[in-house]
Order: sequence, then C-alpha cells, then structure tokens
Amino acid sequence: MKNIFAKNKKLARWMSRGNKSVLYLFVIILFAMLVMSLLEPKFFTARNLFNILNQQSTLGIATMGVAIAMISGCIDLTIGNLLASTAAVAALLLNAEVNVFLVILLTCLSGLAAGFFNGLIVVKTRINTFIATLGLMSVYQGLALIIPRGNNIYLKGKLADFGTYRVAGLVPVPIFYFVTIAAIAYLVMRYTKFGRRLYSIGGNPETAYLAGINLDRNKIIAYAISGFLASFTSLIVISRIGQSQPAMGVAYPLESIAAAVIGGVALSGGRGSIPGVFLGVILLGLIRNSLNILRVQSFYQYVMLGVVIVIAVTLSNIGSIKKL
Amino acid sequence: MRENILLEVKQCSKSFPGVKAFNKVDFDLYKGEIHCVVGENGAGKTTFIKMLSGALHPDEGTIKIAGKEYTHLNPALAHQLGIQTIYQELSLAQDLTVAENIFIGNWPTNRFGLVDYERLNNEAKRLLDNLKINLDVEALVRTLNVPQKQSVQIAKAMATEAKIFILDEPTAAYSTSEISNLLGLVQKCAENGIGVIYISHHLEEVFDIHDRITVLRDGNKITTHGKNEAAPEMIIREMVGRDVSKFYTRQKVAIDYSKVIEFQNFSDGDMVRGVSFKTYKGEILGLAGMVGSGRTELSRLIFGADTRISGSITIEGNKVEINNPKDAICKGFALLTEDRQKTGLILQHSVEWNTMLAHLNNTNGVFIKEKTESQNIRHYIKTLDIKTPSIKQIMKNLSGGNQQKVVLAKWLYANANIVLFDEPTRGIDIGSKEEIYKAMVDLAKHGKYILMISSDMPELIAMCDRIVVMRKGEITKVLEKEQISEENILTYSIGGTI
Repeated sequence: MKNIFAKNKKLARWMSRGNKSVLYLFVIILFAMLVMSLLEPKFFTARNLFNILNQQSTLGIATMGVAIAMISGCIDLTIGNLLASTAAVAALLLNAEVNVFLVILLTCLSGLAAGFFNGLIVVKTRINTFIATLGLMSVYQGLALIIPRGNNIYLKGKLADFGTYRVAGLVPVPIFYFVTIAAIAYLVMRYTKFGRRLYSIGGNPETAYLAGINLDRNKIIAYAISGFLASFTSLIVISRIGQSQPAMGVAYPLESIAAAVIGGVALSGGRGSIPGVFLGVILLGLIRNSLNILRVQSFYQYVMLGVVIVIAVTLSNIGSIKKL
Repeated sequence: MRENILLEVKQCSKSFPGVKAFNKVDFDLYKGEIHCVVGENGAGKTTFIKMLSGALHPDEGTIKIAGKEYTHLNPALAHQLGIQTIYQELSLAQDLTVAENIFIGNWPTNRFGLVDYERLNNEAKRLLDNLKINLDVEALVRTLNVPQKQSVQIAKAMATEAKIFILDEPTAAYSTSEISNLLGLVQKCAENGIGVIYISHHLEEVFDIHDRITVLRDGNKITTHGKNEAAPEMIIREMVGRDVSKFYTRQKVAIDYSKVIEFQNFSDGDMVRGVSFKTYKGEILGLAGMVGSGRTELSRLIFGADTRISGSITIEGNKVEINNPKDAICKGFALLTEDRQKTGLILQHSVEWNTMLAHLNNTNGVFIKEKTESQNIRHYIKTLDIKTPSIKQIMKNLSGGNQQKVVLAKWLYANANIVLFDEPTRGIDIGSKEEIYKAMVDLAKHGKYILMISSDMPELIAMCDRIVVMRKGEITKVLEKEQISEENILTYSIGGTI
C-alpha cells in the first residue's frame, strides 16, 4: 500500500512538472487508435502503423526544429519555402552528377546557413519573430523559384533509396531518421546546458540575460537548427517523389506549429517537451490516416483536421486553461 | 468655506497582507487649493492615490465628493465625479494631434456628422492660451517631449468637467525650467477653481506651490500644515520620526580596508550622471535615494545589463572590462533585481532550474551534471532554509520570501564575490527578511563586497556600514557610519539643504 502511495506521489510530481499535456496526448492517441481499430480492421496492421510513422517522419523532423525555436520564444515560418529551396539545390547538384554523399552534406549545409541567416535577421532587427520570418518566408519562396528557374527538376532515380528504402523489407528508413533526430533533440533539450538556456530564454528573456545567457547567440543557433532540419527533410521528400517542386512544403510552417502546440509547446516559449512534440506529430498523422481509411473526401478532411487540432490543443492545455 | 469643499476623506484604512498601508486617515481638499502630500517611500501615498482613482477599495472609512458619501470608488465613477489622475505620458493617443487629444471622443462635428476641425482647433487653442501653454494644436502628440505631453494631459483634463487633479511625482527627470513651467501650469489650474493633490519627493517644489501640506508616515497621517506654517526641517522630522532602535541588530564584521573596489564615473546619459564611489571588502554599502534617483539604473549599469556612456571598475587594483551580464558574472558580480518575478526568476520553471541558472556560466562541458547539481542545490536550500516540498517545485508556487531566497541561492551558487542587492526585502515577510539579512552579514563575514539598495530606511540604517545617497542620478553625500540617520538620508535624498 505504501509503495503504491509513493508511486502516486512520484506520478503527481511528474505531472506537475509540465508533463501533463504529454500524458493527456498519449491517452488521446490511445483512445483514437482504439476507436479506429473497432471501426476498421485494416487500421491496426503493422503496415498501416508504419505507414503513418513514415508519412509523418518528414513533418516530424521539420517540426523538431520549429519546436526548438518555439521553446526559445521564436516562431519560424520559413521552413516550408526554405525546404523547397534546398530541395532545388539538391536536385540541381544531383543532376550535375555530384557525389550523393556530398549532395546530402551540401544541402544540409545550405539549410544550416539559411537558418543562421534567419536567426541573424531576427536578432539584429529585433522585429517580432512572426513578422520577420513571414517576410523571410517570401524570400525563400522566391529562391525556390529562382534556383530551378521555376521548373520541377526530376531526379531520374538518383537518391531514391534515401527516403524509400525499407529496413528488413518492412520498416521505411525515414522512420529511423525521425526517431533518431527526435531522440537527439530530446537529449539536447533535456540534458544539455544549451537546451536549458533555450528554455530559460523562452521562459523569461530578461532573467536569462541577467544570468549571463547570450540571448542573440542562442536564438541564432535555434534558427540554424530549424533550417538544418528543414533541409534534411527536403532530401527525404525529393527522394520520395523523385523530383523537386518550387511549391512544395507550403503547408509545413502551420502544420509544424500546430503539431508543436498540440504537443504542449507554448507559443510564447519556455514550455514544452520533445516527447510531447513527437506525440503531437503522431496525432496529426493518425487523424489524417484515419480519415483516409474511412474514405472521407479530402475537402472534408481539411475541415475535420482543423476541428481536431483545435480540440486536441484545448484538451492538452486543459490544466492551464482553468487557471485563466 | 464649507461650500467650497471638493473632497472629504474620513477615517480611511487599507491593509495588505502583513502591512497596514493606510490607517484611519482624514483628508480634505478645497476648490482652487493645492494640497501637497509628502512622505517617505512606503508612507501610503500610492495607496492614497489608488483609492481616489478607484483602483483600490478602502477597507473602512468614507470618501465624500460633492456632498455625497461613498464607501469606495471605481475608475469609471472617479472619472464621472471629476477626479483626474495625471500621468507623465500614458493615456494619450500618440498619432492624433494635440487638439484631437484634448477633446478626445468629444469632438465638435459639423452638420454632416464629420469632425469640425476649425472649431476643434480654435477651442483647443483657446484652452491652451488660457493655461498659458505654448503648443501647436495641430502637432502630433508623438512629436512632443514628456513635459509637453504632460501639459496636454492637463489641458485634456481641464476640457472635461474635472474638479480634482492628482499629480504623482510629476517632475521626475525634468530640468529646472521644465519644472517651473509645470508648477506655473498647476497654479493656473488652481486659479481656475480646480483642487489639486500634488505628491512629490522634492520639497522645494512643494514649498513653491503649496496651500497646505499633509505629511504621511507608515500609512498614518501625521499632520496637515497650512501655508508657510512649517519649516522644511520640521517636515523632514515628521516624515521620519520613528523608533529606530527596535529594528534588526546585525553582527559586526571586520572590514578589510586594504581591499577596495572603485567604481569611477558611471553615466548612462540619462538617469545616472557621473557616479563614482568605492567599497571595501567585508563592507555593506548602502545606496539610498528616492524612487527615480537612479539607484536601480546604477546597479544595472555596473552589472553590464545596460549600455553605459562612461564608467570603469577597478577590483583590488585590477581594472576589469564588463560589457554584459556574462562578463560581470565571470568577474564575480551578482545582481538581485528589485522585481524578482519579472527579472530574477523564471516562474514556470523549478527551484532547481532557477538556482543553477547563473552557475552554468562557471561549469565546463556540454551536459548538465544533474546529480551533482541537485546535491549542491539541496545544500543551499538547507542553509538558506528555503521552504519547498522538493527542488522540482515550480517557482510560482513558492511564497515571496522563499522566491527571494532562491534568487539569493542562485548567486551564492554562482560563487558571487560582489553582490548587488536591489530592494532585497520588498514585499516579503519578516521571518524571511531576517534570513536575508543574516545571509548578507554572512557574505560580508566571508569577505564579499556588498551593495544594498533599499527604500526601507530602518533596514538601511541597521545593515549598512556606510551609505551613499543619490538624488537625480548624482551622489549628493556619502554618509559615514556615525553620520547615518534618517534625517540625514532624507535631507540628502530630497534636495540637500533647503
């Protein structure tokens, strides 16, 4: 009896440490899976579940970057068009017969540089990050058209394995990328001084500054990470669809912010956890997959997805709403 | 005379947890009168204004305005009754013209229902001329300086049916000519039949314009003087007059006069002007002055948090370069800010988290060594007697006193050598206060340098070995131990020898 009590106390403390939304989210996901399994036997199969994870791995990787920036109090709206730009870079390099590994390296470096530049603009101009990256978003939209001269660039089979290979013939490789990157993000945000600094900056920039934290440098790094992960995502996407398109990724900024917020990341920064973000991404995928399996028309899917996002955010933030 | 009475406050009281902020105060105000209110920081002036403007409700007593008694006011009612609190620049629409602001929401219209600008500007012009305010009525408010904005505020208040003006420290950061302009304007308003409640730290101003002076101390009304009834020395004595001996007695610490830190010529071009002083190892040096005297700004300047235009620090003979808080922390500085919730803590994070924040500057490696950190932090929690169920507790859930102790723990853990305390005991309970005092004396005993900013005079007097007094961004006096007294501190804080 005593032992159970101690466990409950531990659980209560764990909950009070801001993990409440993670738990709620987990319960919501389990519930949704249960309902779907009852409605449609095709849902609960290894193939379909891997399918969901595979589908969400691209948004998930990009969302990790966006969430890291959000935790430090910065919104990054550029990732969608930035991703289209680096996709064009990668496609052009591949068609110029550059070594595949070098292409991967160069593409990621270009994303890193672009993110660094975003951070520099945000920090030096001191414009509200939403507005600043809204402007930059348009810059990358332009670049995504300028670099490939407005054309789709076909890869003709190059880089195909990068995003479509199935480990043991079953598990799509992007799932490994996603899980690995999420795990690294978790380690960084949870256990390193850098992660702690980002949370502190988002939580109270003035206090963080007076405790000797360099606000500008850390924010720039957060944007650079976001840019880097967006470019990595672009490699998976072009590998899957076999081409780069100037208009790809437009839904990413809003979907990634939605996933992060569902996962408990505060729009104002300082709050949220990587496991939460991971679950947020999964929940979005789960819903889309369910609607597909239930053959809901795609026009209606948008509406339902929006409704579910609002409900999920409300539910996962229920603790903090009460306090208002 | 009775029929000219505008406002009668009877036996009003207001308590906050642990403090009687306002205690059975009577106050009255006549038409055309300038009634000045003076008192130390914390005497109850702000509480008084807030009750009159309706922001606070008195616990007991009545407020009688225009023959009607009220138990409390609210902002809308206060406005309706003609009470206008005049702030330095708030509540003006920056992108409207002077005339538009004066008659805001009440613009004259022509027969199409559009604003009749000719009439608007003429009426505004007439009003400004009457008050002898020399301003272009078509200028945008954004382009005006602070004193000009304030005169627009006053004109705007005159344009409504206001009967009572409240001015709270209206001349903060004003130059001499700007002050005399404002005082002239206030007198003009009184000549127009307005009753003015004028609150100021600056006794010269008060003596320039007063009809009556009311002295508040610790929430009590001490007395009300008629015109030229009291000399400035007497007012100061009345503002102070409390028994100091009852207060905290600290342990004596030997000061090492061979080790010294010199602060030279600190200026920020605005609130701090050419401040130089020195402090010795083991000494608790007080920084006294009224709110707005530049003490907080000075502490932030020293800490590298704001940009300075001049200023250098020599620690025990070595000149140090400090350009940001990180430099300061690495050189052993610590700053406990006056607003711990806004600038000292991250409220949604845990005790542990907040305590290790500054310490992270001194550690190597990429990862946080959670085990060692937790152990060290538990040690500070024990020595400072911080009451928290666990080190994982969220800061928000701690009391003010315990929050402040966490801030202190943060800097102790960062191994601070020079600690700047800005209002270290504001708003915390007596028990925690004593523990903070004890911690300060302990620091001194361990040979640290301590600077203490406080508006609480008994506290300053009890704790400090010497006191630097500031006024309007400059040092007016350095009081040696034997010179420290409330009268002396107050005299140098509010304008020296008048």
